[in-house]
Formats: sequence, structure tokens, C-alpha cells
Amino acid sequence: MPNPLKPEKSVVTTCAYCGVGCGFKAETRGDKIVRMTPWKEGKANHGHSCIKGRFAYDYYIAADRVRTPLIRASIEDPWAPVSWEEAFSHAASEFKRIQAKYGVKSVGAVSSSRCTNEEIFLVQKFARAVLGNNNIDNCARICHSPTQFGLTNTIGWGAASQHFDSILQADVIMVVGANPTEGHPVFGSLMKRRIRQGAKLVVIDPRKTETVESAHCKADVHLAIRPGTNVATLDSFAHVIVREKLYNEAFVRARCEVNEFENWKALVGSDKYAPEVVGPIAGVDPEDIRKAARLYAGGPNSAIYYGLGVTEHSQGSTGVMCLGNLGLSCGMLGREGVGVNPLRGQGNVQGGSCLGSWPHVFSGYRFVTDDATRHSFEAEWGVTLDAEPGLRLPNMLDSAVSGAFKGMYVMGEDPVQSDPNQHHVIAAMKNMECVVLHDLFLNETSKYAHVFFPGSSSLEKDGTFTNAERRVSRVRKVVEPLAGYEDWEITVKFMNAMGYRISYSSAGEVLDEIARLSPAYRGMSFALIDRIGSAQWPCDEEAPEGTEVLHRVKFPRANGLGTFMLTEYVPTAERTSDQYPLLLTTGRILTQYNVGTQTRRTANSMWHPEDVLEINADDAAPRGLRDGDWVHISSRFGQIELRAQISERVNSGVVYTTFHHAKSKANAVTSDLSDWATNCPEYKVTAVDVVRISAPASADANEGARPGVKTPAKELEPAE
Amino acid sequence: MWSELRGLKDEIDFGTPPRDGSPVTLEIDDVTVSVPAGSSVMLAAAKAGRNIPKLCATDMLEPFGSCRVCLIEVEGRNGYPASCTTPVAEGMSVRTQSPTLQRLRHGVLELYLSDFPPSEIPDGWSEFHETLKAEGVAENRYGAGCNHFDSEIDASNPYFLFDPAKCIVCSRCVRACAEVQGTFAITIAGRSFESKVVASQDQPFFESECVSCGACVQACPSHALVEKSLFEGEYRHAQSAEA
Repeated sequence: MPNPLKPEKSVVTTCAYCGVGCGFKAETRGDKIVRMTPWKEGKANHGHSCIKGRFAYDYYIAADRVRTPLIRASIEDPWAPVSWEEAFSHAASEFKRIQAKYGVKSVGAVSSSRCTNEEIFLVQKFARAVLGNNNIDNCARICHSPTQFGLTNTIGWGAASQHFDSILQADVIMVVGANPTEGHPVFGSLMKRRIRQGAKLVVIDPRKTETVESAHCKADVHLAIRPGTNVATLDSFAHVIVREKLYNEAFVRARCEVNEFENWKALVGSDKYAPEVVGPIAGVDPEDIRKAARLYAGGPNSAIYYGLGVTEHSQGSTGVMCLGNLGLSCGMLGREGVGVNPLRGQGNVQGGSCLGSWPHVFSGYRFVTDDATRHSFEAEWGVTLDAEPGLRLPNMLDSAVSGAFKGMYVMGEDPVQSDPNQHHVIAAMKNMECVVLHDLFLNETSKYAHVFFPGSSSLEKDGTFTNAERRVSRVRKVVEPLAGYEDWEITVKFMNAMGYRISYSSAGEVLDEIARLSPAYRGMSFALIDRIGSAQWPCDEEAPEGTEVLHRVKFPRANGLGTFMLTEYVPTAERTSDQYPLLLTTGRILTQYNVGTQTRRTANSMWHPEDVLEINADDAAPRGLRDGDWVHISSRFGQIELRAQISERVNSGVVYTTFHHAKSKANAVTSDLSDWATNCPEYKVTAVDVVRISAPASADANEGARPGVKTPAKELEPAE
Repeated sequence: MWSELRGLKDEIDFGTPPRDGSPVTLEIDDVTVSVPAGSSVMLAAAKAGRNIPKLCATDMLEPFGSCRVCLIEVEGRNGYPASCTTPVAEGMSVRTQSPTLQRLRHGVLELYLSDFPPSEIPDGWSEFHETLKAEGVAENRYGAGCNHFDSEIDASNPYFLFDPAKCIVCSRCVRACAEVQGTFAITIAGRSFESKVVASQDQPFFESECVSCGACVQACPSHALVEKSLFEGEYRHAQSAEA
């Protein structure tokens, strides 16, 4: 074999996959990327990588990348390639027409956590300053919106309290509803390193994940709870801590609102949350709850890491508050080795949250209703801004179904595939007069779009990402954008076409504007990141190079104290019945990433060519199921067909699948229930039945609308 | 610790991971340097700007001491210890270059070279190749003996290939899989001349427990484990040596 060809050039950039945000060197020969190697100075990954970031980058030159803008008058028409100018002016004239006919608030925008901070900021600016309303949301709505709500209300900031390296000081690691070795592999490796050094591991997850047991890494306690019983379980945890007086009284007296602590104690200390009561509800041994709670409270350093298994529930926000309460009660906040940390799914979920892609808050979580904040934005942007909070994404869709909401600018998102109750989303899309989609590829949503802006991959643009530990790192352009423009330029040109005069000479100028308008980002700039590699917010005069550990002295609340929220357990309305006896929960696998837009276009699919349904042998046997059989999965909301895999990873009564492949349409069966506080959909609990079938009922069966089950007429009705 | 030591100097490999003990001061080739207790002499030398040649050591992995290229002399001590596994001590005086050290290192490198495909020496740019160049070792005294040149290439993984002919059995891949990734998918099977890198139960990489994180490829100093994307044309999806 000859020697490999040496790359000519390398550019340090940040991986666009999960929330770990690894630093990479993109190495090129000519204008071609020939490999991605992990950057040793990357403070999130220290030279490590996973299969996605290191190898699965070829999607950027996939044959079906859209290279020219497309428009069409109706979704029945074929797409017509047009110039950028025509695409911008068409989209702008449609939005203006709609606003003139249906009102200022009949249009909105949605951004994605795959976008850079600069793009996310520009899209919300587009909604607020150009459209003149606050109809702006982002995909964190469907994953980590409860994190923002739950943590803000307990410890003050909806963000991880720690940096990743903090875990190397942890004595007890508690992983709740997350599977880092698959979903956040580089962090998973760091966690395993700490476990091999002797840290104890508690895992709360319905499924026996890789994290629960792998080579030289075994959970000391695995609570395989029934999906939907997080809050009961965590309250029972708290019960043990209160009844056995394992809480850290000194910390609570010094750092927390004591009255709220007493109220919380009274609630979780009541008999209904005793492990003996909760155990049977959650399907776990009461002794295991006690053991896990004692481990956590015992520390000395205990750290919580959680994922969508906590948030994507009707009590998602309550679940997050339970974790905030636990951290406060045991004094596990404010130093290295402890903390409450969300593991963010997409590369820039934290950035999406920080930068005002929400209908009710500007960047830095400051309310649009607050006059002073609004005036500061008005001064910078030169327009009057709407003081009324806008619509959330699910509300935009509801409003589209009912006919009031008519146009949407969607950047880097595929709501038809990734949002709950697909039939409802499709009905909403069909009812809109102008859907502008800005993406790399035509996707499920593009079937209902009228304008398509071909975007740039993260290898083709400048900007920043904020990872799950609040670390802001540079995304640097490695190759020229295939369709001609970087994404931030496209949004700016769309703004210009709408008549809003603004220009930026670089993405760095957008970050400068973010810094001027967002307290936690005040010190951020391309120059700072170029000099020190990356910086964790808050980054300001007091912390010019950023902050690794939050809450060291006080909590970012008005009185500086942490507080306890009452977390009464309310079972989800989604329950099993004779007709739907099993609970379906969902997750992800190492080699594929979310809805698979990128990874399915790489060789990663060799490992995971299709989504399968994991089912316990005890549930498979009475259904006559064998490994590899096709099954029909039906819920109250829809049906899908997958192959079954008999698995001991799930307990009897629970089935599990991944959602990486568009053709399997896992979200066609998920319910339309959502978190009480934030509308984050309850993806993690759906009552289903599973029936063996001889073969899938052909491709159109996967359309989700089978005859006699859910007619198109019904689809058009509002979801309630 | 890393941030203090490394700055953003990507190209420097300190050879062994940082430690956080109290400072120890020593002399490397008459350069005075302070490093935390528990650090290796190799790390101290790198910090002093006196980098010691090495093959099995890298600062992402715990020291292993197998390649015997990083030998040093320590004043007042016998022999030629490996600098990667020798901890620093207060007042220590270390020599990284001497005629004897050069003779020993050359002998070791020539042994490696004798079992490395000769056609793969020119144009090579791996750490192994760079070390040979830096030490001025271009040929070996041993001639054609037993070798691994005809070993079968494992090209089962879509992203990287393993060419045992180029493997110097330094165990960096094995240790990266264990220490960095935590998957423990790679091991060394066999003993002595028969020792070789295998995935899981001597399976093709694609069928093994390997999770394709790339840590082994990153760690490999001799391009035995290497990204397929670095080859043009048919080698991208890897052919055998004869093809």
C-alpha cells in the first residue's frame, strides 16, 4: 500500500453534531476536505472524537445537496430553480403580501440548534425587527425548553452549572434520561474514565443502555423506571434525603430560600413519596431508590447529568426542577465535581436558548415585555419592537391549522419529521401560503414549502457554537459555500429584500452585536476566541475569559439565593390500556444523528441501516414475534411499521425505537401531549400496541395515513 | 493543568499526560525546568524545549515504556532508562543526547525499520517516518529477515484501514481504545514476533466492538491505522498491497 497523501492545510473549527462541541482540525488538499482530526487544544474534547464528527462529514458534498434557490407557486407544482435575487424578492413579496392581507402576526420564523449563534440571532432579529412580531421559536422547544424553565426557576440559569472536565472531580455520577456513550460519545468517554477511576454511577433510564453496563463500567444502581415516572422517582429520592436528613443544612441556610426549602421538605417528605409507594408505580425496587438517594446525598461530590429522558414529558419542566431541588438540597452546586447539567442534543441548543430564539425573551433570557430591555434593542436596531410575546412553534402550527397563521421562515429545521403528531404538522404546513425553507437538503418539510434557500454546511461558514457546557467556540469556513452564500448572509439578504437595511462585513460583526445586547456574552468576540481557543459564558468584565463553574458564590436570581419548587407528581394522561398495552419510548444511537439528514448520507448507515423496535422477550412471545419480524405499531395518534428486535435492554411492558430514519416516521405515533410549562412534546411516553405482520404494507403505508384510520379530513382538525 | 502547560500550541506532544503535584526543579541538558511532581522526565524535557524522540509515548496516554527510543542518561544513576516512565526528582540532572544514547537509539530504530515495508519509507510523513528522519536513520544493518510485509490489510471499516505490515506494535491504539475511548475493543494477541493488533476476538474492525471513534487512528504513529480518505482513487476504499 502506498503512503497516504499529506493534507496541505488545516483549519480549526467546531463539530456541528451533538452538544459536546468538539474542536476539530479540518484538513484539506486543494478545495477538498480529506479528513477531520480532533483538536488537542479543544477544551471540550482534548483531542478525542466520535464516529460522527471524525468521519461522517461527507454529507456536505452529497449529490443531492441543493445548489440553487428554488421557488414554486403551489406545493403541487415542481420546483423551479431561480437566481438568489429572484428567490429573495419572491419570498419577501409573499411575506409582505401575507402580512398585508392577514396581519402583521400571520407570519413567523423558526431557527435551529444546528445554526450558529450568529444565524440564530439574525433569524430572531428577522422576526422581531423585520416581521415586526415575536413569532420566533427554535427546535429547543421540542427538546430542552424545560431545562430553561426548570433550572431558571430553581438555580437561576437554564444552563449546565459545570464544564465537562468537572466530572473528573465527581465521586458520584447520576445520569438521568440520557445515554452519553451513544448520544454524547466524547463526554461519555470522559465519564467512563472517571468511573474507571472509582466514581459511583447511578442511572435512571427505562432502558438498559450502554451507559448502564459496558466494559469496565457498570452502574452501581440502575433504576429502570417505567416511562413517565421520572418525577415520582425523583420525589422519592428527595423523600429519602429528607426523611433520613441527608440534606446539607448548612448549604441550604447559606445559599437558598429557607421557607421554600421547608415547603419542599413537607411535600416530598410526605408518605406518598416513600420508596415503598413509588417503587410499584415506577416499577423499581424501593431499596434501589434508597440506595441511589443515599449515594447521591453522600457525595462528597455528586454530579447530575440529564437528557431528553427528563425533558420530553408532560412533566418535563417538573422533572428538571426535581433535579435542581436535589442539587440545592444536598449542596451539590457551586464547585468542581458537582452540578446539574443538561446534555444538549444538538450542537448549538445552548446557543439557541441563549440568543433569544424564543417568543417571549430576547437574548440573555430577558423578557420582551420588559420596556428597558426592549428599548435597548430598539436603539440598536432602529425599529419599534412588539411588546407582546409571540407564538411558540406548536402554537404557530395550531394557528396555521385554524387558518390565522400563513407564512413561516424555517431555517435548518424539519418540523414535519421531528415535531410531534406528524399529521397535525402536515395539516398546518398545507394550510400556509408561504413556507420558506432554508436548509442543505430537500426534506420532509420541503414537500410543503414554496421557497427553498440552499444553505451552507458548518464547513462552509463562519460563526460560533455554544456547547452543552456554555462553551463558545469558533466555526470557521473550511471550503466555499456550495450554493454561494454563508447562511448568515442569506438571512441578511432576506432581511434586505424585506426592506430592512442592514449589512455586516463578517459573522464576527454579528457576534459583536450579540455581545453588545446580551450580558452573558458581553466579552465574546472572534478575537477573544482566536486568542484563548474558546470561552464559557458568562464572559464579561468580571470574567474576561469566561466562567467554568457557575453559582460559586450566589445564584443568578434577584436575591442571589437558590430556591425550591414544589414538584407534585402528576401522571401523564398517556396511559396504557387493553388496546394499547405497551409504552413506547425513544432514543438515539451512536452512528446516527437525530433525523439523520447528515449521517444517513454517509457510510454511518452501514451500522444502522434502519430503525428497529426493541421489545422484551416476554412481550414478544405472546405476540408470536421473532427477531427481525416486521411489526405494526399503533398508538392513539398513528401507526408505523418497523422490524422487531428482541432485546433484554427493555423491560417487559416497554418498547423502544430510534428516530433517525425518515421512512420509519417514529413521530407519526407519538402523542400530542406536551410539557405543561413549555409545550415540549412528550416524545418519551406513548401507549402502543405491537402486532406482527408478514411484510410492510409497501412504501405508501409509511405515509402514516392509512385508509379508514385517519382520513385527511380529520387531519385538518385542530389537535385538541 | 493542560491549559497552563500547552497554551494553544497544538504541535507539541509532551509525551506523557500532565500531573498536578507540587513543583519539582531539575536540569535537562543544562536547561533548568520546573514541572509538577509525578511528571515524567519526557514531559519536563519537552517543556524545556529538549524534545526526546519517542514512538510509543504521547501525551494523551499514560506512559508505557515499550519502544525504547526515548532513552536518557541520569547523572548518578546506572543505565539508560526510558524518559517516559522515569518520574522527575528534585535536583535531577538529565542528558538527552550523547554518543552512547545515539548508538542505542539507532539500534532500536533500525530494528523497527527492518520490519517496515521498504517501499513505504520514502514520502512517508507519519511520526515514525519523522522520527527516522530526525535521528538520521535511513537504512538498517539487519537485511531481509522474517517480516510482516505480506499481512492482510483489514479494510472492513468504511473510514479507516489497518495495515499490519506498517504496525510497530507500540500499543498506542490499544491504550487509546482503553484509556481515551473506554471501549477496550483492541488488544495485542500473540507473543514476540507473532504479537499483533487485533480487534475484539481477532475480527475485522467493522464486525468488532469498535465504535469507530478514531482514537486508535489518531494515536497510531506509523500510519498502520489510517484514514481511507487520505488516499486517492482506489485506495480510498483500500486495496491490498499487491492490487
